[in-house]
Amino acid sequence: MQLLKSLSVLALALAAHASVLTVKSPRLVVADSLGNQLRAEPFSLTQKTLTPVELERTDILKLTFQIVDEDGKGVQPHQTFVRFFDPTTGEEGIQPVKVTTAGKAKFELNVQRPPQYLPPTGSSPLSVSLIIGTPNFDPISAQLFDLTLPRSQPAPAHPDEPTFHLQQELFHTFRPDQKLPPKFISFVFAGIALAPWAVLFGLWSQVAPAPTNLLSPSILPFVLSLGALEILLFWYWVQLKLGDVLLYGFILSIPTILTGKRALSSISATRLGAKQ
Amino acid sequence: MSSKSQPSSNPMASLWNSYNDQTSNRLKFIDSFLVYLMLSGIVQFAYCVLVTSFPYNAFLSGFSSTVGQFVLAASLRSQVNPANKDEFKEVSPERAFADFALGSIVLHFFVYNFLG
Repeated sequence: MQLLKSLSVLALALAAHASVLTVKSPRLVVADSLGNQLRAEPFSLTQKTLTPVELERTDILKLTFQIVDEDGKGVQPHQTFVRFFDPTTGEEGIQPVKVTTAGKAKFELNVQRPPQYLPPTGSSPLSVSLIIGTPNFDPISAQLFDLTLPRSQPAPAHPDEPTFHLQQELFHTFRPDQKLPPKFISFVFAGIALAPWAVLFGLWSQVAPAPTNLLSPSILPFVLSLGALEILLFWYWVQLKLGDVLLYGFILSIPTILTGKRALSSISATRLGAKQ
Repeated sequence: MSSKSQPSSNPMASLWNSYNDQTSNRLKFIDSFLVYLMLSGIVQFAYCVLVTSFPYNAFLSGFSSTVGQFVLAASLRSQVNPANKDEFKEVSPERAFADFALGSIVLHFFVYNFLG
């Protein structure tokens, strides 16, 4: 049983090894911004190109190749990638390559506009490899060459970066206590504030109409209950709580309304009677 | 009064004289109260500006009590004025006084509540 199992695995492995992809006419070209070719040579999947490829700020790297099977027929693999790997930092960038149905592929890297997928470059070169994977064929992962790119700019600082540091400790600050004015000024202004009372009583003494029937039994209760309400409010200022004053005020308002109705209707009757 | 017969050259004086002559004592009684409220409010405001607004809630409640009372008294005056009888046909002077008393009680409640 065990033997059968290992035999079947072997058979599967043989089947998998049956088809091999190769790359036809692989070529790498380095051109400057004007299109002049600085370097043009074939590359190989089996052997890494010894001289590292160097790109200046305005250079363009082009890779062209055709993927074929053993019969030389073009194959469009499911997955084709170029991988840039920085062995010192461990950062990598993997970029898919478009391959036509005939297996032809073209890859371009313009250093003037460095693509997002490139890892940040330091002093050591990036190692460039080609990865091809498709069902029924052996996968390929081949080191192509080392690539030296211009050193990348330092990463820009995020605008919020300073806020992610320890901030200065906050302290509560209070305004100084407000002060009462000197006693003398307080007394002077208390006198001035009371002066209008003198004016009021002075004027009233001249113009007050004679309170004819303020003490009559129909009016006096109303006046007293109004006074009681005012005293209640004063008491509220001095001592009472809001709930108390609302309760007492409600109780006191009932006799006030009744006596008020009586007093005012009696006044009204007197007024109308005097008119007629 | 002597000024009644001779028209005064000073318009302010003639205004004063006509007020004195034609206004009933009941209205003058209310007017005195209005003058008192105005003076009291002015004094409190001057104190707040010139000396200190501390304690501010006391100033606010004192000042607003004079303003509120002035409004209530002024409306009472306009409603009991016989010259405005046509404007307030439905409102008898007693009804106006009842309104005044109720409004004043409510105002004083708020003023004391705020006085602190």
